[in-house]
Amino acid sequence: MIAYLKIAGWVFAAYLLQMTLLPRYILDPFQPNLIIILVVYLGLKQPHRFAGFAAFGLGLLQDSFSGIYLGLHAFSYLCIYTLLSGLADRLYTDNRALFVLVVFLATMSSALLNLLMLAIFSISKGVYASLLPALIPQALVNALIASLFFGIRFPLEEPR
Amino acid sequence: MKKLLIRYKRFLTAALLLLTAFLTYALNLREKEHANPVERAVLNVAAPVAGSATTMSGMVGDLWSNYIDLLEVRQENLELRKSVKLLNQRMVANHEALLANERLKGLLDLKTASETPSIAVSVIGEDSSAWFKTLLVDRGSADGLSEGMPVLAAEGVVGRLVKVAPNSSRVLLLTDHASAISAIVQRSRARGIVRGAGGGRCSMEFTVKDEDVKVGDMVISSGVGRVFPKGVPVGEVTMVKKGQYGVFQTIEVKPIVDIGRLEEMLVLVGRDQ
Repeated sequence: MIAYLKIAGWVFAAYLLQMTLLPRYILDPFQPNLIIILVVYLGLKQPHRFAGFAAFGLGLLQDSFSGIYLGLHAFSYLCIYTLLSGLADRLYTDNRALFVLVVFLATMSSALLNLLMLAIFSISKGVYASLLPALIPQALVNALIASLFFGIRFPLEEPR
Repeated sequence: MKKLLIRYKRFLTAALLLLTAFLTYALNLREKEHANPVERAVLNVAAPVAGSATTMSGMVGDLWSNYIDLLEVRQENLELRKSVKLLNQRMVANHEALLANERLKGLLDLKTASETPSIAVSVIGEDSSAWFKTLLVDRGSADGLSEGMPVLAAEGVVGRLVKVAPNSSRVLLLTDHASAISAIVQRSRARGIVRGAGGGRCSMEFTVKDEDVKVGDMVISSGVGRVFPKGVPVGEVTMVKKGQYGVFQTIEVKPIVDIGRLEEMLVLVGRDQ
């Protein structure tokens, strides 16, 4: 129970950072997305059976504070989690470089998936003009943050 | 005799010393204002030593008093540092209060000028994504807010409310791609829809090529749709492009409100939705 509370604390801290401090001090495309790093972490390193629900929940939580389309991030994060959890057994997940690279690719994939969903289901045309220029800087920043947080071991993680 | 001398040796020595002392005193009574050779020799030897001792004593005294002063200076320095820190904090707080006062004064002017009842809201969070533009504010349905209500700053249009919770709401900024506001160019009354274009910009769409629009023109809300009151500043035209093909011209609009610096805003609660 304490372990779950600790993780909830981490998630809460990440959301608070993303909502309040980071937008105030860091320019738009360079704000890291801490949530997608958590989703990649869940996909690659967290064998827990509820991790899929957690990834979906994280996406819903992000949708509650970002944009106006509830379920957009939830869907893309769940897709990323499903893909990563399927690949995790074939990858050397303790490698820092791999984690950083996957965070970079996951950021790109999530944004492109969001773009696709918005293009198909919403009327907010021209969103690609904001999304595409911000894509590479955000992916790079996320990769940088991922490399810094790689050493953190969450309470539910099984020692390998 | 020898035995006698040995027997009273101590007494005789004392008497001799006393006699010598007495004679020394008696013989020098006349020369009491002049130093005799003994005195001069003693003074010669003692003077430099006394001088050095005095200097040393002065140095030690100075060192001690400097040390004491230093201790006091250190204490004083710490207190002064504390005072400087406190004064700096007060100065920043005063400056902040001054700025808040100016902002709120502007907002109050707007509230007074507007006939529609309004509620002041403060920004408590921002959108974490780079491509959506929303703000989180500290009032919600418990304060009488509901989705679609227009949000204004002292300078002009900010956006409208979406996703209202009991004690907080989200404001869809006019720069978000999902935002569209019916507007007119103030000078020529040309009509169009101001749509968010991301990156702090907007575009005015559906303005036909024949309409007269120039760079620097002020764009205001048209009042159509009864969401925003008529005549509220939306932005300024920064680029106009009339292509060879198509019916409409391309107009870029810079929002009049500095979106990145928004802190307090007004929500108009009495508009017909």
